[in-house]
Amino acid sequence: MKISPAHIIRLYDRFEFLDKEGSGQLRLEDFAEVKELAMNPIGDRIIGAFFSPGQETVDFPSFVRILAHFRPTDKNRAKDSTQPEPVNSRTSKLKFAFQLYDQDRDGKISRAELLQVLREMLGMQVTEEQLESIADRAIQEADLDRDDAISFEEFRKSLEKVNIEHKMSIRFLR
Amino acid sequence: GVSCFLQTACQCLPGCDFGSSLPERALLLVLVLVFLQGSVLPLGAASSPDVSHQDKTDNHKVEAQGHNYTKKAFPVLSIDYHYIQTPFEISLWVLLASLMKLGFHLIPRLSSIVPESCLLIVVGLLVGGLIKLAGEQVPPVMNTRLFFLCLLPPIILDAGYFLPIRPFMENLGTILMFAVVGTLWNAFFIGGLLYAVCQIQPDNPSSLHQIELLPCLLFGSIISAVDPVAVLAVFEEIHINELLHILVFGESLLNDAVTVVLYHLFEEYSGIGTVSVLDGFLGVISFLVVALGGVLVGAIYGILAAFTSRFTSHTRVIEPLFVFVYSYMAYLSAEMFHLSGIMALIACGAVMRPYVEANISHKSHTTIKYFLKMWSSVSETLIFIFLGVATVDGPHNWNWTFVTVTVILCLVARVIGVVGLTYVINKFRIVKLTTKDQFIVAYGGLRGAIAFSLGFLLDPAHFAMREMFLTAIITVIFFTVFVQGMTIKPLVELLAVKKKQEAKRSINEEIHTQFLDHLLTGIEDICGHYGHHHWKDKLNRFNKKYVKKCLIAGERSKEPQLIAFYHKMEMKQAIELVESGGGVKLPAAMPSTVSMQNIQPKKPPPALPPERALPQLSKGREEEIRKILRSNLQRTRQRLRSYNRHTLVADPYEDGLNDFLIKKQKIIELEKKITEMNNYLTVPSAPPDSPTITRARLASDPQAYSVKPTSDSVPTIQVDLASPQSPDSVNLMDEFRNARQPEQDEDRGLMMKPPSEAKGPKRPEDAEGAKDQQRLMRCLSDPGPSADEDEDEPFLP
Repeated sequence: MKISPAHIIRLYDRFEFLDKEGSGQLRLEDFAEVKELAMNPIGDRIIGAFFSPGQETVDFPSFVRILAHFRPTDKNRAKDSTQPEPVNSRTSKLKFAFQLYDQDRDGKISRAELLQVLREMLGMQVTEEQLESIADRAIQEADLDRDDAISFEEFRKSLEKVNIEHKMSIRFLR
Repeated sequence: GVSCFLQTACQCLPGCDFGSSLPERALLLVLVLVFLQGSVLPLGAASSPDVSHQDKTDNHKVEAQGHNYTKKAFPVLSIDYHYIQTPFEISLWVLLASLMKLGFHLIPRLSSIVPESCLLIVVGLLVGGLIKLAGEQVPPVMNTRLFFLCLLPPIILDAGYFLPIRPFMENLGTILMFAVVGTLWNAFFIGGLLYAVCQIQPDNPSSLHQIELLPCLLFGSIISAVDPVAVLAVFEEIHINELLHILVFGESLLNDAVTVVLYHLFEEYSGIGTVSVLDGFLGVISFLVVALGGVLVGAIYGILAAFTSRFTSHTRVIEPLFVFVYSYMAYLSAEMFHLSGIMALIACGAVMRPYVEANISHKSHTTIKYFLKMWSSVSETLIFIFLGVATVDGPHNWNWTFVTVTVILCLVARVIGVVGLTYVINKFRIVKLTTKDQFIVAYGGLRGAIAFSLGFLLDPAHFAMREMFLTAIITVIFFTVFVQGMTIKPLVELLAVKKKQEAKRSINEEIHTQFLDHLLTGIEDICGHYGHHHWKDKLNRFNKKYVKKCLIAGERSKEPQLIAFYHKMEMKQAIELVESGGGVKLPAAMPSTVSMQNIQPKKPPPALPPERALPQLSKGREEEIRKILRSNLQRTRQRLRSYNRHTLVADPYEDGLNDFLIKKQKIIELEKKITEMNNYLTVPSAPPDSPTITRARLASDPQAYSVKPTSDSVPTIQVDLASPQSPDSVNLMDEFRNARQPEQDEDRGLMMKPPSEAKGPKRPEDAEGAKDQQRLMRCLSDPGPSADEDEDEPFLP
């Protein structure tokens, strides 16, 4: 199921709206203009996800490619192992979320990275100790191979009961 | 005579076990039946016109007055049944219902094949039959007022208070479609086609011809509504997945508004005979008023209840009462205005729950849970029994055509409605409904006692065919409850429908779900799309900023969701730890045994030997305790323990609280010390006791919590924990933390640790200590045999 042309047009309109300078590329400042993102605890991470490592601008195809992760999953897709995993499958969605945690891209969410996320989400309202206890407990629960970090498989396993196809989909992008 | 039977029956029941032989079971059944017979007679006798009683009492009075100078023999023993008649009858019915519930579970095979609702109806039929056989008049138990004002509210409140908000809100669109459009479709389809069917048969003029269109539509609207009581009763036993459960159940709750409007509309105009377009339009407006008005009334009472609960910290005993009374008043107020009482009750429960739970003590929470479950269970049982009794009562007017056509039309309408609506709904859903889902939703459309009561409510003067309607309604109810109720379980197995998952939420799920919420909100903002997450986020912010501050007492208003969840989990785990005999980890009695027996170092450690370190630890700890207690003795005032019904003085259970806190701190420290010094130091845990033993031990011996002090010379202080915020109470944990800080710094020279921000001003520490105390105090109670996992869900996802 491909994105319909109507959606692409809508996304392009949005892209142009965000691109204040009309350069055909989005920069960090353009994203920062979105007011609500400033209030979002993990706003910076989300913005960072659009930029490939080393790049400073985002062009339209990359913009769409990232947003395509959030299209509703096509459940009736035949399991064809020769074709690459579509970008909006459950695994791909989870991988996207995983990469938001794993900023240094080493394939694991270390304790420090988890702490950082918790600090961002809970902010000033809790003490450092509480954050550490929560992080400890989270790792204790999820970490099956005892390496004090959460790998992608462990991450996936801890979310097996959550309906990711529903949770990480935006109807708008059908 | 009745009391004798009661006693013997009660004695017999607990004694029986499953492995008992057939004769014993037969004896039990015979006893139950005899008891029934015995109890039924006074019920029957009491309902018969007791004019004779009246005469007798009058006679006595006259006699007494006339002969007050003649001395009679003093009556040593007399019976005055009339005096206690009504409460006695009510109690007898409730007792009957409860004993029936007990009885069913003693017959293991039966309860797995036949759902409880069916068995209860059969019991009702038996009781009604027995009363009739005894020649007495069957008591008019299915009194509509009794049903709507007493029997229905507990069930709905129980459902509303524990409604899983997140799946409900996520599927609200679907649920509303089924409830509103589906019910309308059902009503008109059934009513219209029934009228058409009644009009044919020109060659055989029967009484059916006289039925007008409007009464048919009225009948259609009564019979079309899916019944929450029946759905709850049957679905509870089949454990299907959350989505289907909430779809059918949500539909049964929300279609009340539609039913109310349609019923009143058609009832009003049945006499006149026509309904104009204007009336139809007014009907639509009326529907909106009824539905939204009901929700509004419920929400107002819910907020009032939440606000009241903010101030109950000193009178914890009556906290549950507020929940019940406010909810009931919401229901009654809505019914007063002919708004939808069910929706009011649901709204009230759902709105007040997160705030009330943040304010009340854990014991009140448990009380509320168990009272609601108890009342709703008894209510449900009584409703089904009464349905059986009322069936026997009649009056019936059996008309083959009418009844069979009704049953068939109900099924057909339901199937067509569900399939058609799903086709439309699936265009808008992210996760689509499969055919299997549709089948279960269609098959789960059970009718129940509400339909019967509404039929009963019809005025016989206006509706000559009332009896025929009632017969048809009862037949449909029986059909759906018996046939569909019994077969749905095997069908679910056959179709391999996804079952309910063990919803034990882990901290990981919680963290990641919140993370994903933020992520999706951000993505929606980038897309410029004001979707689901955007509004949810806005609502959350509003809630956090304004509402929580008003409705939640004290420090808890600022507590973020994740922290509340985390603490809940920690408490649960701590309670489990103590219950399972994890007391071996306690350092209190341990220092000697740990150092001598259990430490087997593989090689002599180059640095600090563990034997020396641990006693050192405990001695240091001792000193600290003494120092702290000495310095704080002036500030503490010993409170006198006097029994007072109006205050919840800390009982021995909660006394162990402070000791528990100390223990926990020690555990944490000891673990840290141990792990950093020697990796091969293991403390073997005691073999866990069987759960029954630990529970019995804990329940009967509250002193199991208390720990012997490290040294007898340490004075123990009893602090009145009723008001943790009082300036007189000592926050031991808080002191501990302060005392621990300098030690931490000097010990952890080798550890890379970011400078602890906890060494901030004392106020947050205080508050935290008090918070923790308060939290622990609230949590220290029996978690219950079957913890309701759904409660772990946070309010606004």
